[in-house]
Amino acid sequence: MLNTLIFVALPYVALALLFGVSISRYLTNRLTWSAYSTELLERNLLYWGSNPWHYGIIPLLFAHLIPVIFATAVALLLGNQATLLILEGIALGLGLLALLGILLLLLRRVNSSILKRATYFSDWLILILLLVQTGTGVYMSAFLRWGSLWYLHAAVPYFRSIWYCNPQVEYLADFPPVVKLHVACAMVILAVLPFTKLVHLLYLPIDFLKDAPILYRWRGGRVAKREF
Amino acid sequence: MDVRAQIVMAFHLDKCIGCHTCSLACKNIWSDRRGTEYMWWNNVETRPGVGYPKRWEDQERFRGGWKIDGKKVTLKSMPKGRTLANLFFQPNLPRIEDYYEPFDFDYGNLAGAPEGNDQPVAGALSQVSGEPIEQIKGSANWDDDLGGSTLYAEWDPNLPNRELVQKFDTIFMQYLPRICNHCLHPSCVASCPSRALYKRGEDGVVLVDQNTCRGWRFCVSACPYKKVYFNWKSGKAEKCIFCYPRVETGQVNACAQSCVGRIRFVGVVLYDADLVEAALLKKDAELVEAMRGLIMDPHDPQVQQSAARNGVSMQWLDAAKNSPIYALVKKFRVALPLHPEFRTLPMTWYIPSLAPVLSVLGDTHRLLDQGIIPKVENLRVPVQYLARLLAGGNGAVVEEVMQKLLALRTFMRGENLGKPADPEVLSRAGLDREAALQLYRLFTTAGFNERNVIPPQQREDQAPELRRKEAGFGILTRVKSERTDLTQRGGKDD
Repeated sequence: MLNTLIFVALPYVALALLFGVSISRYLTNRLTWSAYSTELLERNLLYWGSNPWHYGIIPLLFAHLIPVIFATAVALLLGNQATLLILEGIALGLGLLALLGILLLLLRRVNSSILKRATYFSDWLILILLLVQTGTGVYMSAFLRWGSLWYLHAAVPYFRSIWYCNPQVEYLADFPPVVKLHVACAMVILAVLPFTKLVHLLYLPIDFLKDAPILYRWRGGRVAKREF
Repeated sequence: MDVRAQIVMAFHLDKCIGCHTCSLACKNIWSDRRGTEYMWWNNVETRPGVGYPKRWEDQERFRGGWKIDGKKVTLKSMPKGRTLANLFFQPNLPRIEDYYEPFDFDYGNLAGAPEGNDQPVAGALSQVSGEPIEQIKGSANWDDDLGGSTLYAEWDPNLPNRELVQKFDTIFMQYLPRICNHCLHPSCVASCPSRALYKRGEDGVVLVDQNTCRGWRFCVSACPYKKVYFNWKSGKAEKCIFCYPRVETGQVNACAQSCVGRIRFVGVVLYDADLVEAALLKKDAELVEAMRGLIMDPHDPQVQQSAARNGVSMQWLDAAKNSPIYALVKKFRVALPLHPEFRTLPMTWYIPSLAPVLSVLGDTHRLLDQGIIPKVENLRVPVQYLARLLAGGNGAVVEEVMQKLLALRTFMRGENLGKPADPEVLSRAGLDREAALQLYRLFTTAGFNERNVIPPQQREDQAPELRRKEAGFGILTRVKSERTDLTQRGGKDD
């Protein structure tokens, strides 16, 4: 029953919310689409929180996505035990980095009185969810060995079954509770993402890299990017 | 030739009394919302002083503006690639303490305090956290009138010699009102990864699109004047909007409207965008001349044609011809840009102040060489100070302006006393009688509509005769030849 809830109901609810709410928020309420930085108000702890967090979690996020898309290639790569060892070591390091970052980011909100009115319920919610997520991830990486291998052979087929609308719960049904918590928490994060400031990760600013520096706009919608 | 229109403000610093009426008018209209309490889109600084935010001119710390990089200019802050790596934490962002922690007072306590032996007080409350503030440590004008302060004035990055403000006989003080410069080459626009900042094609006003802004804060660091602010409540950048809702309806900016000293001039200039690149690569000392060179004569038919091709309407051309800015900047060459060496080509221009006019040489009041008007070298404000503020360090540019302003005073004093001054006074400074009278009028008796020449921006105002019968009751017509005419005249509506 619990397995069905976590591995069948939750993912589809999460995906529906993620796509539905993100799109509707993008179309109707872009005014609140921001990273809501508080660097202006407090920057000392932010430096030690935000940097480790982002530099740790972004590679890990890709490490979770790439096997889902390129399963065969990753299987070949992980077949070599030396590579596997190195990759797992790197992943654990990044996980610890992210854990340190998110802990500091959470404590920063607890301790700074100047951030009191700049902190909302949604900030607490995502900070705690991300802490749980990173914490369980690091735990698995450290104590449930060869996570990348069983992720590839159990979680990846499960994700694909979700994608093809034929959820195969049995792939993950017999894992220890901490793994289930990790999966459930990931789904909850996806579900609340469009309601919180996490939406900022849906927008990657890369267009400007190729643009001319000065942007002109005219009444009526004409736009020009020029050198001068 | 690629002639565009730009709406510009100029300030006559001799007339600024530092009353902050402009700042309050601006704040009451635009920045009295939560998250904007600390922002002063218009602020007035005492100079020498550290300014607001503190030491904003120190680009070694804030890294705003542009730098010359071989044969092109690049952002001083960071190249584009590093922008992505610094998304999560920005090394050059000012802290709230660099501005100040905004405060209000607990007035409720005056009436609501429980009975006691002491008079109740209205304690200060932070407008960021809502917590009581033990001791208020600063504000946007905390160093008001502290021209001789060793805590503030001495730290002015433009001072050629710090001791100037420590000794009573060399101390001096002026005011510097500042708004967003609506630069021709804005570094804030170039730095934005979301491309939320833009320059309006019609009038050159630089704006932040609040729907596109994602709060990456690069504009705040990249603006060397620190005139883009981060709203911690909305998570977006905000800045002076040149009161565009007022200007578009023919009213003047709130700061200029409310100015009690009538120090501000608003008008249109035409500039040639093709010359911008060459101007940017000039040495610091040559930048003022290069910037003057960008501004085109609106009476020149070639300029008019090129402007029309870029959609500048007849009304805007007329406004450019009557523009007080063109007269002050180009014709009489008495207005200077603020820190041209930041290379954003700022479009606010300052007429430097002669005050205080006391001598620094010998007896303080012996100034009688030209009547009672001192020589430039005897002015109390060091030319080198003004040069660093307004001319990229080029003292000769400032001296030329000061000579003109002094000559104008000498000439007008002679006229008013019925003892005409030596006619050479004007010609030595590069003025003639007609120019002097025109400048005198602009500086003193010019009315509202002479100081502020704002062209119509509403489309129905731009060419009313061509829009007749296009809307309303009856049979609507649209004559084709008239439309062609409209396009040629540039009064097109996109």
